[in-house]
Amino acid sequence: MRLWRRAPWAMRVGAGILALHLAAALFGPALAGWGPAQMGAGPPLSGPSWAHPFGIDQLGRDVFSRVLHGARVVLVLSLSGTALGVAVGAVIGLLSGLAGGWIDDLVQRALEILISIPFLVLALIAMVAVGPILSGQPVTVIGVVALIYAPRVARIARAAAQEIATRDFVTMARLRGDGALTIMWREILPNARGVLLVEFSLRASYAPVLIGSLGFLGFGLRPPPPEWGLMMAENRALLIVTPWAVLGPGLALSSLVVGLNLFTDGLARMLGRHADFGAAG
Amino acid sequence: MLMRLVVSRLVQALFTLLAISFLLFLTLEVLPGDVASRVLGREATEASLALLRERMNLDLPPLQRYGLWLGGALRGDFGTSLVSGRPVVDILAPKVANTLFLSVHAFLLYLPLALIPAVVQAIWRNRAPDHILSVATLVLLSIPDFLLATLLLLAFSMSLNWFPAMAIVDHTTSFRGMVHATTLPAITLAVVMAVYALRMLRDSLIEVLRADHIRMAELRGLPRGRIVWGHALPNALAPTLNVTALNLAYLVGGVVVVEKVFSYPGFGSLLVDMLQLRDLPVIEATVLLASAVYIFANLVADIAAILLTPKLRDRA
Repeated sequence: MRLWRRAPWAMRVGAGILALHLAAALFGPALAGWGPAQMGAGPPLSGPSWAHPFGIDQLGRDVFSRVLHGARVVLVLSLSGTALGVAVGAVIGLLSGLAGGWIDDLVQRALEILISIPFLVLALIAMVAVGPILSGQPVTVIGVVALIYAPRVARIARAAAQEIATRDFVTMARLRGDGALTIMWREILPNARGVLLVEFSLRASYAPVLIGSLGFLGFGLRPPPPEWGLMMAENRALLIVTPWAVLGPGLALSSLVVGLNLFTDGLARMLGRHADFGAAG
Repeated sequence: MLMRLVVSRLVQALFTLLAISFLLFLTLEVLPGDVASRVLGREATEASLALLRERMNLDLPPLQRYGLWLGGALRGDFGTSLVSGRPVVDILAPKVANTLFLSVHAFLLYLPLALIPAVVQAIWRNRAPDHILSVATLVLLSIPDFLLATLLLLAFSMSLNWFPAMAIVDHTTSFRGMVHATTLPAITLAVVMAVYALRMLRDSLIEVLRADHIRMAELRGLPRGRIVWGHALPNALAPTLNVTALNLAYLVGGVVVVEKVFSYPGFGSLLVDMLQLRDLPVIEATVLLASAVYIFANLVADIAAILLTPKLRDRA
């Protein structure tokens, strides 16, 4: 609560938008008039009306209901992908920074390779390389988001660990004979919490776009889940006939990202780090 | 000293590229199951599978196959496409030329799109124009590139009919035709890059405006616009070089999405199409090229950062 009173107004607006999306993720499926895959909601390709704010798609599904159902899909995939990526990246980065020497060098080279492939290209290849059974599954999307984020988070975590490792309490722990894992868990992690928190919210802000890009290009979730990028791709061929079937999911995606960006920017300012969103680099 | 740094970074970049090529080969051709049936799908006949195995040398051990591929790649021979049977280089070259045209176009639009709002914000800092542009930046920053491209397509090609909905070009297209066809995709990419650079440019402009020689110019009574354009901007541009190089790195991934939206026959659409068709030799060459450009852009960004930060420059 004290944190909230110190929060800049932009961050409160962001939190408000996020609350709306969270509500949509929790209650959207109950509020939606139609199921995410339910056909026959109205005449296919009809435009917006009071009953169907975003119109009806070519399969006769209510687009607004699908957008509502999509909030849960997008939030779950984004947050779990980001969480996995930040967790894996943090462990690798903190241990590598703590270890130093040749282990650190080796880990850095390996991360360098993953970071040097443009992230969207790497995500596309990963989606193809997992083979026909795993490709297009929710777990795979989560794994790919984590694959993109983990090396980038690891770099930040490593820098934090190197800085913390020079402090006296770490030297004390080493002299006590604590192992690397203990030192990481008890000494380094609590002190790197702020950095990792900002890193999480920074990465989470971009995750819906990353997942949406994959869906839009046809390499994300396999239809029919109402993921917003995938919905835009499905309705894009008929953009001129039913523009709202494309713009509706786009609006949902952008508003989520606006909320995440405002929130992250405020959080980073409060924790004294400059947010640098937009790119996953 | 700087020269040595640049050379060592270049050597490191080459090793990274080599590692990427190995990783790529490993994931695409060695790891999961039989390559031939993955390329051709589940309904492939035994005869067509055998033919493909022979064409891709699949009976050789993986390391030897990688060696063969790498040897060819070093001589500029990336093999032949599995789909069309044409040399990969012949397929790739015209697409890369198209993407280069689009990128240059986007870059030329990016400069004024980043500079003008930044100058406006710096002149009227913390007043209405600054606040309005800040909010606009944040909103634009949150619109994914594929949505922005779709909005432009809807507005300027479908409603107003100013531009074609599909940016289809070939080698007979004139220069003016190319400029016309690439306008909407270039605007999309330019806006995304400009928004990303804008905040940085605004902040560094404001910082420079506080410097002594700018104060002097103000005291001499020079008009505000001339101070900003003539004195402050050249100094503020330096820190933005780094962002601009990072924007080049963004461009490598950005073209994949934007070219797809406008059906522009560049290297990004090629990658997406070939991934769908599982044309491994073309995919490998395309990804390697994308990574090379990406690594180079990041290298330039790093070196720019070092040159512009006295503390880092002395250490180098």
